[in-house]
Amino acid sequence: MWEKVVSYIPNWTVFMQGFLAFLIPYIIFNVFNQLKSEKKKESQKETNPNSSQAPSEHYTGDYTLDYERIKQQIGHNWDVHFREFLLGDTGVRVAIIFLDGLSDKELIEKHIMMALMQNFTDEKYDESSFKNGEVLQEFIKNRILPISDLKEEQDIKLSATAVLTGSAALIIDGISNALILDIAKGKSRNIEEPVSEALVRGPRVGFTEILSDNTALLRKHGENSNLFIINFKVGQRSKKELIVAYIEDVADPNLVEEVKRRIQKITIDDVAESGYIEQLIEDNYLSPFPQVQSTERPDRVFAALMEGRVAILLDGTPFALVAPVTLGMLLQSPEDYYERWLPSSLIRLLRYLAASVTLFAPSLYIAFVSFHQGLIPTKLALSIMRAREGVPFPALIEALIMEVAIEILREAGLRLPKPIGPTMGIVGGLVIGEAAVQAGIVSPVLVIIVALTAISSFVIPQYNAGITLRMLRFIAMFLAALFGLYGVVIFFLFLCSHLVKLKSFGVPYLSPTVPYRAGDWKDFMVRMPLKMMKNRPRLLHTKDSTRRKD
Amino acid sequence: MMIAQDRITTSQAIVVLVNYILATGILTLPRFSLEKVKTPDVWISVLLGGLIAMIAGVIIVKLSQQFPEKTFYQYNQEIIGKWLGAFLSILVISYFFLIAAFEVRTMAEVTSLFLLEGTPTWAIILPFLWVGLYLISSGINSIARLFEIIFPITVIIFLLVAFLSIGIFEIDNLRPVLGLGIIPVLKGVKTSTLAFLGPEIMLLLIAFMQKSDKKKAVKVVLVGLTIPLIFYIITVVMVIGALSVDGVLTRTWPTIELMRSFEIPGLIFERFESFLLVIWIMQIFTTFTITYFAAAFGLSCLLKKNIRIFMFALLPVIYLIAMTPKNINELFKFGDMIGNAALILFGMLPIILLFIARLRGVKNEA
Repeated sequence: MWEKVVSYIPNWTVFMQGFLAFLIPYIIFNVFNQLKSEKKKESQKETNPNSSQAPSEHYTGDYTLDYERIKQQIGHNWDVHFREFLLGDTGVRVAIIFLDGLSDKELIEKHIMMALMQNFTDEKYDESSFKNGEVLQEFIKNRILPISDLKEEQDIKLSATAVLTGSAALIIDGISNALILDIAKGKSRNIEEPVSEALVRGPRVGFTEILSDNTALLRKHGENSNLFIINFKVGQRSKKELIVAYIEDVADPNLVEEVKRRIQKITIDDVAESGYIEQLIEDNYLSPFPQVQSTERPDRVFAALMEGRVAILLDGTPFALVAPVTLGMLLQSPEDYYERWLPSSLIRLLRYLAASVTLFAPSLYIAFVSFHQGLIPTKLALSIMRAREGVPFPALIEALIMEVAIEILREAGLRLPKPIGPTMGIVGGLVIGEAAVQAGIVSPVLVIIVALTAISSFVIPQYNAGITLRMLRFIAMFLAALFGLYGVVIFFLFLCSHLVKLKSFGVPYLSPTVPYRAGDWKDFMVRMPLKMMKNRPRLLHTKDSTRRKD
Repeated sequence: MMIAQDRITTSQAIVVLVNYILATGILTLPRFSLEKVKTPDVWISVLLGGLIAMIAGVIIVKLSQQFPEKTFYQYNQEIIGKWLGAFLSILVISYFFLIAAFEVRTMAEVTSLFLLEGTPTWAIILPFLWVGLYLISSGINSIARLFEIIFPITVIIFLLVAFLSIGIFEIDNLRPVLGLGIIPVLKGVKTSTLAFLGPEIMLLLIAFMQKSDKKKAVKVVLVGLTIPLIFYIITVVMVIGALSVDGVLTRTWPTIELMRSFEIPGLIFERFESFLLVIWIMQIFTTFTITYFAAAFGLSCLLKKNIRIFMFALLPVIYLIAMTPKNINELFKFGDMIGNAALILFGMLPIILLFIARLRGVKNEA
């Protein structure tokens, strides 16, 4: 009896492996936890750089003093201009301070200075109100300056900041205020079709770098008094305007609150592009999948708003962010809704197919060629083997060479100047395709697979989603080289495990696939006729769930 | 407890149950039951086995519905006292991680036989365990969602390969129906009932279900058992119909042999065992993860500690148990042992517990 029990006790190697089974994930888990908690600590630290600054100074009404003070603040800048003159025929000294390039010079010259310098002939104006600052100020505000956006500022520092963002500051002798005139005029470019999201059918409109242009594009989309556009300032050293847009009677208030909360939590010196925002508000920064959608298309943003999502626009970038996002959304294009439902559905199915080809084609090739030749049809196996005859590398190395080469080619194609881009693409493609096969480095079958994979990855309408899949493809390839088909299955399970855990602003990333929401499937793999799509996606908990009433 | 925010819907509960039941049985059921029955009437035993499992499942549901907000680990102490309850919990927990170990090892055996000759068993098992750990570390909701992905894939591929094998299906292999009477059929009932191990997960699952859905738990069991029943009957009928009774008895994994024995020229793939193996590995993964989770959850309920600790602690335990059987025959014997234990643990015990609960009037309406 005892001996029998003893015979079942595994030897020490098995115990070691058992220990490893525990140790490796334990280490990984702890490392990742460490990473996460560090991020939390960072965000908990309340940084407040403004608090340590010198006490604010106010305007005194003494012209010379005020002038010197503001000059001290910003006078050293080359692009800040100070212009002193006299107020009409009164002899009151006035200075206008503005920024060259940002402020509208023509407006200053033709309307502001002109109005201020000419003789006041108004009969209501009399000598007595000269010395009395208040009256003068009201008078100038009410009767002289034809500027719509005008405010009074007592603080010297704040008015200096306003000047630096493009406003003009007006200092008048005897008035303990500066008048801040918002006459900023940035250089804007024309509205063009977005380069990264071209459509055959659909508006040829893309966002620009000017925030007000972008919000105007959203407003122009249709009359809707419930489109709320709320502004925030982000960046601690260099502040930028940020807009949160949503449709008040559709979007889930909890979602809106969550987006606002995450934006307010951002503590960073400077926000260069909306990508910064995306990375600072996403749920899981260790995931390879984009958890916020970025798009240049106003129609796409507006469609998302109508579904009850929230859009974030940042000044200085044409890329708007949409949250929450699901995996399905990344495989959809606005065109799906513009074309009729049958072609759209087929194209959408094609995209799903392309996505899975991108992910699995090279790994399946490796698995079948190096492990399970028996599982592919004999003739096909023979022709693959014949093609591979002279290839000196194992399938993994062979595939890696090609895949890396094609990635390099893609990256080079992006950076190359436009005139030589296509040429280099063709040359590179030819070299990799033809010459590599001729030289016997790779097999022609693999070239087909790699080309198919690369092309497929560009079918995905979202550029960053395509990159994600291409990235994951390499993991699949390594697992396939280690474990063959079993490795691919393990990869699939791992990927799905990750995806089901992932959430974007509280919405499961894989919805509506899982959990099953049959109602939302009308707009998932296939796009049902618009007549049938009566409801907004349920997963977003919209306030008003009906899209159309019959 | 983490129950409060982590709810699943009725359909998710059904999918979890189906995925839990479907596991090794698809590959082994035809041979195991045929060894006992020895006539082509196996499908009748499978049908009976499914019905028995349904009855047992309904009893389990009735028991759990007395305590809708609690899992078995919590309410058994209310029924039969602290110590006996704890003892029962330990038995159930052990059952769950033994099943997990058994499934893992079976998966490793089949994989190394058909897909990865020469790869050491530990190399096959370890990544499998780790992916499982990764999944269950975020609770029942993620598990249910993953199962929802795997479920349609399984159904589609299974029906596809079953349909394709119709070419070598001979109805004569299934005749005569009840040629030797009903007695042989009854001999196979116990074996086929074991293929339906799974309703016991309802002991936990009801506590995780959404409040409004809890009343539908009986439906969950019935639907959740009908789907595997259809799967199993299709499998048994197809396998016996194609390979004949003698052919099945001589093969260790008759279902895979069935897939190997036909070729459909003209398609990209001529043979379909790789498809079957892929969905089968996924099914093993689902069974493994849910039992692994059930065991870890039980331990955390029993010892009142964070579930994470037990997830990690169970890994080496499951690994060591999985490596203990020396060969495939011992593995099958091991499987039999677990099955017998399950019959007592989940066939008899819930009736007794339900009886005691009713008698003592313990109830927890929450």
